Amino acid sequence: MLVLQTALNGLVLGGVYSLAAVGFSLIFGALGIVNLTHGIFVICGAYASMMLFHGLSVDPFFATIPVAFVFFFVGYVYQRYLIQLAVSRASLVASLLVTFGVALIARNLLQLGFSPDVRTITPSYSFSSLVIGGLRVDMVRLIGVGVSLVLLSLMALLLAKTAFGRRIRATAQQPLAANLSGVNVPHVFGQTFGLGAAFAAAAGAVLGIVQPFSPSAEEFWTLNAFIVVVLGGVGSPSGALLGGILLGLISSFTAQYVGPSFTNAVMFLVLVVMLLVRPHGLLGSAFGESR
Amino acid sequence: MDRRSFLKAGAGAALAPAVLTGKVSAQEAVIRFGGSVPMTGPAAETGLNVKFGYDCAVKFINEQMGGVDIGGKKYRVSLNLFDDASDPARATSLIQKQVDEGVSFFLGSFGSNIVLPTCAITEAAGRIMVQAGGGSDLIFTQGRRRVFGLFPRASRQFASTTAMFKTLQPQPQSIMFIYTNDAFSKVAGEGAKKEVETAGFKTFDSITLPAQVSDVTDALGTVRAANPDVLVCSTHDQVSILIARQMVATNTNVKALFQTLGPQTAAYREALGKYANGVMGASYWDENAAYKGAIFGSAKDFATYYRANFKRELTYHMASGAGCIVAYLEAMKKAGTVTDRNAIRDALASLDLETFYGRIKFTAQGDGDPVLLGPMVIQRQKNQVTVVYPKEAASAPVIYPAPAWQDRT
Repeated sequence: MLVLQTALNGLVLGGVYSLAAVGFSLIFGALGIVNLTHGIFVICGAYASMMLFHGLSVDPFFATIPVAFVFFFVGYVYQRYLIQLAVSRASLVASLLVTFGVALIARNLLQLGFSPDVRTITPSYSFSSLVIGGLRVDMVRLIGVGVSLVLLSLMALLLAKTAFGRRIRATAQQPLAANLSGVNVPHVFGQTFGLGAAFAAAAGAVLGIVQPFSPSAEEFWTLNAFIVVVLGGVGSPSGALLGGILLGLISSFTAQYVGPSFTNAVMFLVLVVMLLVRPHGLLGSAFGESR
Repeated sequence: MDRRSFLKAGAGAALAPAVLTGKVSAQEAVIRFGGSVPMTGPAAETGLNVKFGYDCAVKFINEQMGGVDIGGKKYRVSLNLFDDASDPARATSLIQKQVDEGVSFFLGSFGSNIVLPTCAITEAAGRIMVQAGGGSDLIFTQGRRRVFGLFPRASRQFASTTAMFKTLQPQPQSIMFIYTNDAFSKVAGEGAKKEVETAGFKTFDSITLPAQVSDVTDALGTVRAANPDVLVCSTHDQVSILIARQMVATNTNVKALFQTLGPQTAAYREALGKYANGVMGASYWDENAAYKGAIFGSAKDFATYYRANFKRELTYHMASGAGCIVAYLEAMKKAGTVTDRNAIRDALASLDLETFYGRIKFTAQGDGDPVLLGPMVIQRQKNQVTVVYPKEAASAPVIYPAPAWQDRT
């Protein structure tokens, strides 16, 4: 029973991690940008959700829609008018510095705006749990996994079945060929970044009810997304899901059978092994084959 | 305006404030306190509380008292505090810079992981630090002579709580500990465990969490399996909230939940609502305590002055921050000097004085006297922080066993 409970805890945690990492994965896979502002989008999503909850009594799960919508545009503008500018004038490495700098500025602005105090979103169901056959699972985490699966599926459909998704895949695989075929590549890059930012912020809207947050928590979510992507592979929702679940299971089983203080050590050990054995992650890069 | 005139005017404008400041400084005798505080980063919530305490003391001394008399001369006080962003590396650079600039008297940051490396710098430079943000034993047991802490060292902070456990009826039989793997929480948790074992309580293997935690579901599974009467969490605010929330959600009930940091804060109340009621914690100061001193007057007077001038919710960290400055000034008065660091150090070491914060007295190693400056036990009752131990300071009896989560109102 303990093994099952631990596995369930790991799966639930992994589902939440997946959702928080998919935006990072898409941007990394399609644009080659290690977006160090990712955690900022997640935390901004949590603050936006908190404001909607306290100001307009909007449930955090429904808040994902307006939050994602707003951050799509924020991400688009950010990529087109800052990151793209830096990349075109220097190299892709410049994006690392730009996103790092913006993350520092944004964190301080969040602290000015919201104070560094720990915040939480507490809807009525925050403290409920579900018990099935002796296995107990925290309701907010369970709903978080549900939202995660829905959003990941939506992204998978979007990438695979729509013209917009085809344009993203085409620009990610062969920007020049895509351009020659009439695709406005800079515009699609902006849209892809916007989509990544939208998913990160939507994840933040949900994570706000799962755990307390403060501006300084952004580092954790960026690092977490990076580990998920290394484990699962870049660019695809399935890679993020697999990486997230793996990370959740590793954390959970380590905490239960080795000791909670060793979770980070084991997590990074697996990360190093993975980089040595399978540097592109378990599912590889979704866009890498023809690059 | 040509380029040359523009540059002259610009340089003049840039230099004017510096010249003005220099003039003001020359006219006034000022005692300057240096240091760093986490105004941003993970420790910022409590760091800001300590900073507000420093600010409150300076405002009161300058505006209400018109300064302080030392050796027949009136001095104003000023702060030279910087944001260390909860980062020990940044804090050490800031403190080293201030040491190089000649700052003699330092106030502490918040968090043993920051206070420990920064007090090593001030000690090596022969400067003094009085702090209320680092309780790790390592701060006080490495032979430093110029570092003073208003709190007892971590391993001695649990004596009053253990004594309170002894008074509970029915007496708890078993106690379990959770602590995060950081300089303060681990030492405090291990010290607390030793303390309760010596007092005869049964304990379990402690659960050590990493310093940054996002999920404690598995740790709580271990707690449910062990089923202790009391769960003690030696954790900082954010982790305390996470543990308590997940305890409620997974219906992990114990007869008493004690969390060292967290229950005192407004964020804790907001995060847990009615479920915060019944949770115990530690507090080093209470506004209803019958202490009074030359600066601020009584504990109540301090609380009144603070609330009239600052909006941030009052916690004991504000009082302990202000207490550091009060300790400095009382020691300077006793030494009759603001420049002789050795005399001020000796005066601090021998200080035994009642103040609004309590009776300030340091041990030979520099930490707070464990009896005089040890914590009171608080419990959240009816959405308020209530002192429940020791009896002479208690404003309500302790609620034990605490109701199950679903029965809390």
